[in-house]
Amino acid sequence: MGQKTDAAKNDTIKNDALQNDAVISVRDLNVKFHLRGQRLHALRGISLDIHQGESLAIVGESGSGKSVFIKNFIGLLDKNGWIDSGEIWFAGQDLAKLKDEKVWRKIRGGKIAMVMQDPMTSLNPLKTIGWQIAEALKLHQGLAGEAAKNKTAELLSDVGISLPETRMKQYPHEFSGGMRQRVVIAIALACNPEILICDEPTTALDVTIQAQILQLLKDLKEKHHLTTIYITHDLGVVANVADRIAVMYAGDVIEVGTCEEIFFQPKHPYTWSLLSSLPQLAAGEEELYCISGTPPNLFQTIQGDAFAPRNPWALQVDFLYRPPYFEVSPTHKAKTWLLDPRAPKIEPPAAIRRMMELGKQPQARAGRKESADAK
Amino acid sequence: MLKYTIRRLLGALLSLFIIVSVIFVLLRFMPMEGFLGAGYEKMSEDTVQSLLAEKGLLDPIPVQLFHFYKNLFQGDLGTSWVYRAGYPISKILASKIPVSLRLGLLSQALAIAVGIPLGALMAHARGKIWDKLGTGFIVLVEALPAAIYHLFLQLYGTSLLSLPLVFSKSNPVSLLLPVISVSLGSIAGYALWMRRYMLDNMNMDYVKLAQAKGVSGRDIMMKHVFRNAFVPMAQFLPGSILTTIIGSIYVEHLYSIPGTGGLLIDVIQRQDNAMVQVLVLLYSAIGIAGMFLGDFFMGLLDPRIQLVKGENNR
Amino acid sequence: MRTGWKWNFLCRKIEALEENMKNGLEMEKNGGPQRDVPELTREQIEAIPQQLFTPASFNEEEAEKISYSNYSYWASTLKNFWKNKAAAVLIVALALLIAFTVIQPYLPGQRPATLINNDPDTGMHLRNLPPDGEYWFGTNDIGQDLWARIWAGTRTSLFIGVVVALSDLIAGMILGLVWGYVRKVDRLFTEAYNIISNIPQTLILILVSYILRPSLSTIIISMCMVGWLAMARFVRNQVIFVRDRDFNLASRCLGTSTFKIICRNLIPQMVSVVSLQTVLAIPGAMGDEVFLTYIGLGLPVAIPSLGNLVNDGRVLMMSPQLRYQLIFPAAVIGFITIAFYVIGNAFADASDPKNHV
Repeated sequence: MGQKTDAAKNDTIKNDALQNDAVISVRDLNVKFHLRGQRLHALRGISLDIHQGESLAIVGESGSGKSVFIKNFIGLLDKNGWIDSGEIWFAGQDLAKLKDEKVWRKIRGGKIAMVMQDPMTSLNPLKTIGWQIAEALKLHQGLAGEAAKNKTAELLSDVGISLPETRMKQYPHEFSGGMRQRVVIAIALACNPEILICDEPTTALDVTIQAQILQLLKDLKEKHHLTTIYITHDLGVVANVADRIAVMYAGDVIEVGTCEEIFFQPKHPYTWSLLSSLPQLAAGEEELYCISGTPPNLFQTIQGDAFAPRNPWALQVDFLYRPPYFEVSPTHKAKTWLLDPRAPKIEPPAAIRRMMELGKQPQARAGRKESADAK
Repeated sequence: MLKYTIRRLLGALLSLFIIVSVIFVLLRFMPMEGFLGAGYEKMSEDTVQSLLAEKGLLDPIPVQLFHFYKNLFQGDLGTSWVYRAGYPISKILASKIPVSLRLGLLSQALAIAVGIPLGALMAHARGKIWDKLGTGFIVLVEALPAAIYHLFLQLYGTSLLSLPLVFSKSNPVSLLLPVISVSLGSIAGYALWMRRYMLDNMNMDYVKLAQAKGVSGRDIMMKHVFRNAFVPMAQFLPGSILTTIIGSIYVEHLYSIPGTGGLLIDVIQRQDNAMVQVLVLLYSAIGIAGMFLGDFFMGLLDPRIQLVKGENNR
Repeated sequence: MRTGWKWNFLCRKIEALEENMKNGLEMEKNGGPQRDVPELTREQIEAIPQQLFTPASFNEEEAEKISYSNYSYWASTLKNFWKNKAAAVLIVALALLIAFTVIQPYLPGQRPATLINNDPDTGMHLRNLPPDGEYWFGTNDIGQDLWARIWAGTRTSLFIGVVVALSDLIAGMILGLVWGYVRKVDRLFTEAYNIISNIPQTLILILVSYILRPSLSTIIISMCMVGWLAMARFVRNQVIFVRDRDFNLASRCLGTSTFKIICRNLIPQMVSVVSLQTVLAIPGAMGDEVFLTYIGLGLPVAIPSLGNLVNDGRVLMMSPQLRYQLIFPAAVIGFITIAFYVIGNAFADASDPKNHV
């Protein structure tokens, strides 16, 4: 074990992280699973920085590994999975190597809290709302008795639940889905975290409620100075809340950039496909785009770009070599051979071209921002 | 909600009525002479007829049924025909039920005290040595015919540990083997189901949220999983406690315990129909009351069940 | 006994299995692919020949090829089953034991089970002979060969078990299918079930065996009358679960006949639950036979059965030198019931889609 060189390397990563004020720095993270007696490579060398105070959205279809990725941050990988290699730097320690349950319990909730996908099942049905919030208050803020009760009421009204004194004595089944999600958010806030991870926070909710919950999350982010990470497959949610977007495919972040860059100058064919399949972007008569095929097999070794077999714009090199990151701008990079100087100029699909056109008009961009804010 | 409770209660009474009536009618298909007990062969035809008439057995069946219910409503369970001829049934039961109840309650207490923690331990140590040992025990008790393990427990309990072979009222130690024997089945049952419900709960989302909150593994087990897994168990606890009134046929016979265990078989074989009817009524009532109380008990523990509200509003 | 704990729990086990079926049917999660291709260095990137940077032909069919693991329900079930070493050993041992039980009377040197053996020299009955080279399991208190009696008894008990299990299966399936599939009778059947299930099953068993007088067919009839009830209930629940699912609705919209729907859509869905129920009915019936014998309503003593043998042995168990007369039949019935129980549960777990990981 070359401990010295390791330490030196860690220091540089740490410094890197400090320089670009990253709260979480992931480096070449590989996660594998045992499944049906076979090994499954779920995360294939992810590197990503999450910046202080930003709102990052991780986008990808189901099975792309988004949830597995963030589960590493709170040390709750499923039992049949393990971190094969890589580092996750957070607050001066490498979470990938952290084994001490006591330290983990301080991080879970206390530093990094989580809002889960389905509010209908993520609350204990036999405990009152107040009890479940107070449990978090006691663990992370040391509050008990009257103080905890007052704080609970305060948190409940913070997340927009009226009559908190009455509501906190009620059980989860007396709340609607949207209200329960507010309670789950209140529990996360009760932990007083620095980072809030929202795993598909609106997927299980009615469309009418979704916007309310997103707005609430945005407001709370400002109020509590949170760094938020959204996991979603819904680009509509992303456009609403994210400063930065990371697009995941087959266990890797294939494109990352600011919200503007991903929407108006997407570079990776997978991002094109994803955006083209948005109904909002289809023009009049045009048939809605859909990505053919399915994500690659769990258990087979992937040659080259994982998206190549489904990619109508694939180059021959895509089938042979895995593309590295090509930097488009300091904030924007993508893993596609199309960005290599030797690659032919390839026209993105019509919907994307329209988006790119729109992106060049400043008022349209402002308009998008406004409409997002209005929600 | 009150309406719902009353409706359930009425439904239960109706089932009880149907069961008792059906059994009553079925019993009338047995050969009549048997109702008179031993020695009827020697009686003359006239004596048989007059004795049958005296017991009201020559009336049409609906009339007999009516008399039975009429007496029942007056709190009269009738008298035994053959088992202890002429003796009030209520007195027979009053002497036997407490014996069975004592044995049953002791073994239920033992079963709850051992079975539920065992199940929780097995779920907690899933796949490890405790889980495997517990599963072995459960398989043994569940699969083997009860007679086999009762016999061997008596055989080796008395020969190796020199515990008393038969029950005597003055010697509490003589209850030890019977209590263990009766509780074995319940221990296995409680452990099996506690383990299953614990595992079900451990996979639920709310446990994941509690983990993400930073709650320690021990607290998750105690405050969340155990409590929630106990609720479905609560549904059949009252039933199994009530059922102990019926007694255990095997164990009471093996250790000569004068309880209610073999009573039903005894009175059926001797065609003491008056007692059969009362026992059927008792057993069905216990079964139905057990279900009813189980739902009620679970309602107390689970706020999602609305039945409780109805009970409170009364 | 099929009342009280054991039976109660068995029913609940099957209910839980049904629950798992519901949850587990759509289990097919996906993740990312393998990565064993190392990241390229700058030199390697530069070395990639220019001609590779040309569009590849896009093959829609290739993209649409569903490239998931070739999962098959039955293959996975069998694989899971054999993985359970205890069950695998027991099923082989049980098969051998059953085969031996069947051919035993045709083997050379076997004595009839009911023959009372006399000492050739004295002409006395060979009573309570301890196990030796001649009488492997000894003789009983009237001089019958225990070895022969045990195998004859096993034949009787297994016969009872199999007939009862088959009757449970057939009656339970038919009534359950009707109950679940024909909406009109559901209410009636449910009410009837509630009433019948509240009558202590011991009582039904005792009443029937008593009214009909003990014989092999009486025992079988009385057990059959009790057993189908639970099976019908499970089948009904399963039917209702499948009946309202989309694929079945689609099938009905296409005008498929009811009979065909039952055969093609419903029955395959119930295999694991029903097979568990059927397999466990065999040791259940064997246990019931022991119980009925114990309370004096079993087979006539002339017919050797495991229940009769256990009961005979029980009377003698307190004298240590005669204890073998209890231990041998108890060991055989113990092995058979445990084997069936373990195999049934292992198969149910293996066929539970939730465990196909």
